Amino acid sequence: MKTALQQGLRTGAVFGIVIVFMALIGFTVTGPILLAKILGNAPKPEQMPAVSYLVLFLALTGVWCGAKASTPGRYSGARSLSASLAAGAAAGAISGLIVAIYAWIMGGVDARGTDLRPYLAQVSPAAVKLFLFQLGLPAAALAHLGLLVASSLGGALLAHLLRAVQFGRRVLGGLSVRTARVVQQARRFPYAIYVVYAVLAVLLIMLPRAWGSYWNYIIGTVGLYVILGLGLNIIVGMAGQLVLGYVAFFAIGAYTMALLTAPQPHALGWNFWLVLLLGLLLAALTGILLGLPILRLRGDYLAIVTLGFGEIIRIMLRSDLLTPITAGPKGVRDVMLPSIFGYSLASDVNFLYLILIFVVIFVFITARLQNSRTGRAWVAIREDEIAARASGINTFQSKLLALAIGAAFAGLAGALFASRNQFTGPEDHSLMVSINVLALAIVGGLNSIPGIILGSFALKGLPEILRELEDYRLLVFGALLVVMMILRPEGLWPASRPNLENHSQAAEPAAEKTAAAVKAEGD
Amino acid sequence: MSANRLSIPFQSSANLGRAVRLLIGVIIFGLFLWRFIDVLLIQREYGPDTWLRFAISGLILGGMYALIAIGYTLVYGILFMINFAHGEVMMLGAFAGFFVFEIMNKIAAPTAADPKLTLLNAYPVLAVILAFLAGMLVSSTTGYLLERIAYRPLRNAPRLVPLISAIGASIFLQNAAQLLFGPQRRNYINPDFLARGVGWNLMIGESKVVITYTGVFSFVLSILLMIGLYLLVQRTKLGRAMRAVAQDKKTAALMGIDVDSVISRTFIISGILAGSAGVMWGIHQGIIFYFTGFLPGIKAFTAAVMGGIGNIPGAMIGGLFLGILESMGPAALGIDFQLKDVIAFSILVLVLIFRPSGILGEALAEEKI
Repeated sequence: MKTALQQGLRTGAVFGIVIVFMALIGFTVTGPILLAKILGNAPKPEQMPAVSYLVLFLALTGVWCGAKASTPGRYSGARSLSASLAAGAAAGAISGLIVAIYAWIMGGVDARGTDLRPYLAQVSPAAVKLFLFQLGLPAAALAHLGLLVASSLGGALLAHLLRAVQFGRRVLGGLSVRTARVVQQARRFPYAIYVVYAVLAVLLIMLPRAWGSYWNYIIGTVGLYVILGLGLNIIVGMAGQLVLGYVAFFAIGAYTMALLTAPQPHALGWNFWLVLLLGLLLAALTGILLGLPILRLRGDYLAIVTLGFGEIIRIMLRSDLLTPITAGPKGVRDVMLPSIFGYSLASDVNFLYLILIFVVIFVFITARLQNSRTGRAWVAIREDEIAARASGINTFQSKLLALAIGAAFAGLAGALFASRNQFTGPEDHSLMVSINVLALAIVGGLNSIPGIILGSFALKGLPEILRELEDYRLLVFGALLVVMMILRPEGLWPASRPNLENHSQAAEPAAEKTAAAVKAEGD
Repeated sequence: MSANRLSIPFQSSANLGRAVRLLIGVIIFGLFLWRFIDVLLIQREYGPDTWLRFAISGLILGGMYALIAIGYTLVYGILFMINFAHGEVMMLGAFAGFFVFEIMNKIAAPTAADPKLTLLNAYPVLAVILAFLAGMLVSSTTGYLLERIAYRPLRNAPRLVPLISAIGASIFLQNAAQLLFGPQRRNYINPDFLARGVGWNLMIGESKVVITYTGVFSFVLSILLMIGLYLLVQRTKLGRAMRAVAQDKKTAALMGIDVDSVISRTFIISGILAGSAGVMWGIHQGIIFYFTGFLPGIKAFTAAVMGGIGNIPGAMIGGLFLGILESMGPAALGIDFQLKDVIAFSILVLVLIFRPSGILGEALAEEKI
């Protein structure tokens, strides 16, 4: 009972602070809008959502809070109904109290007619009024308290009931066992995989014609990011070298395409396919030249050096020094669109086909690399470089090769990107591209091709669809990177080969023992 | 002979790497030398007053870099990880100081002599102290929470994992600040006695060099803080515990040191330094926004690496050195001032390639590099 209460208080405090934080960054407006949109009742742009959606939003958060508070930790035993409810009530009371105090303060400030926006950009008077449920002061604070206590209790009850019927193990576990059985049976059928491929191919051929140009654009972006993710995966996932300046290779590909084909500033007008190949090769060459001096550095240093390299490229691109060559901060316009034997591939459908073809090619290359001699050498280096060297792998050459291949992927993606947008400028190549790619590869699952495709859809496609989330995208990416590293370092769709480098379980028991011993001694 | 043939393919690419490194080094140093001679002796574009101006602004900047660099070095010395979010910790400290000044400037405190007087100028010393306290408080809290939430669960994970987590935390803090405070740049309102751009005038020949009050203030304060930190690490019990944990966590634990608490306190101390650096940054540079922490963070990391990461005096010297290099570099090399950020990054790359152990660092084993 006591531990349950403690857990409730702790969870409640965390959730209360999170709700206040969400209110401060404006998510108590965006979240309800999103809910309204999902329920098919989107408010007009620039308009506040209805109060009921905010209530729903807060109630859902409260339910989560209650469920979290009432779920016993991994090492403690089952919990009685009263203990669960007590935990939920405590969590609801604490979080409700924190939120009510915040609402009180904001209500007071709002009543004085002070606009906080010069300091807290998202706290507009309208947002504050919405957060107060359009009510007066004591009523609004009480409503917050009551809502959170009630929803948290509900969440605790729900979680307790689900635990009682062993929802996780019986229902979900049963489902996954059943799916696994179906998949296994399908696998016995020798041509099953070809059927899947055929269905996928038909879908990929049909869908671009059915979608509008907007969707084709989004899917094209996702495709380019799949290529980038696969490339980065070769460096980070397979060879275990954290490279943060991946955007530099992307920039080299994009600028090769732009400068050699655009009418301004050079008017060279080279052949598209030649330049595409050249962009790929130049990026690979840069990878080798960069790798020669720095690849002997390990892990974190490599990350910072490559980060610096990426920034150098961006600063150089926009500097006056190189403006005659790279057109400076304005960027390069009218980059050439592809055509083949006189048949233009400029339309969005054709360009999407082009991207998809390259995605398929690169997926194939990655899949073949994974099980090749080289791929296994990379994995060995990732797991233990010294042991890899001892077993006769030329680690330096292998790492260099990984960097070159990964860079080549990025170079091609960059060239395609510049051509599709018919424009490229220094700001297309900021650090955030590297971060996006890293995030999607890690969230999806390093070394897992379906994982990376899933990650690209989730992190690049989803925010395009849910436009409201645009402002919060990078915030969520940052949080996701931390959360994934702590909870699930192998990603959403893990690779089949276990990855020791990114997982700490092997080291954990011993370390925990030491920590426990130290703690006991300290007490 | 046969042994040789076996070893050549095994080593050749590493040798190639070494050769390329040497070649790059010779080319770069040759280039530098040529530019120096060209700019200093032949062209003589800048007089001694300009050089003095560059040196002063470099020293001031260097003091702040040093404070941030110490944070990197302390954490690296103990956890062998780069606290990637340290620049963001500094940025949040700068914002805290900004809000203190801003609020005090909003509260009127009229006197008979000056009816428009605000609290900020009525009690300027108090305002500055409060701003620094707020900056330190916010930064150290951020640092502490960062360690508790993002790093502690990954203490025993492989090295890449906490680094990725740190990158995530850095992006999170940056964007949280953007969402909270808005994307616009903000002007730091200083108390009148720290007005920007005003100071003692020094005559060098015909021209005048201004030594700004803000600059002197920041530099003196950063030196004081560094001395304080040095004493803390060398003379106090906590400092001894920190050094013990940095040397060997397990043995330190066996000697009765609470390792977790020492690590937490290390983050708090580096947060205090970063927070005061942030407020100084605001007072001296005048403009802050959510991205303020990124470049100083990376540069301070460069400084820490330059001085030998894990080495506290090294971080101080590296910071001052980097500040001077950065402010004099573009002029000395005769390149565009837009490229001053490139200098810091190039130094980082060069140091890591040629002397990863830094100026003062001991020769590190490969495990630590």
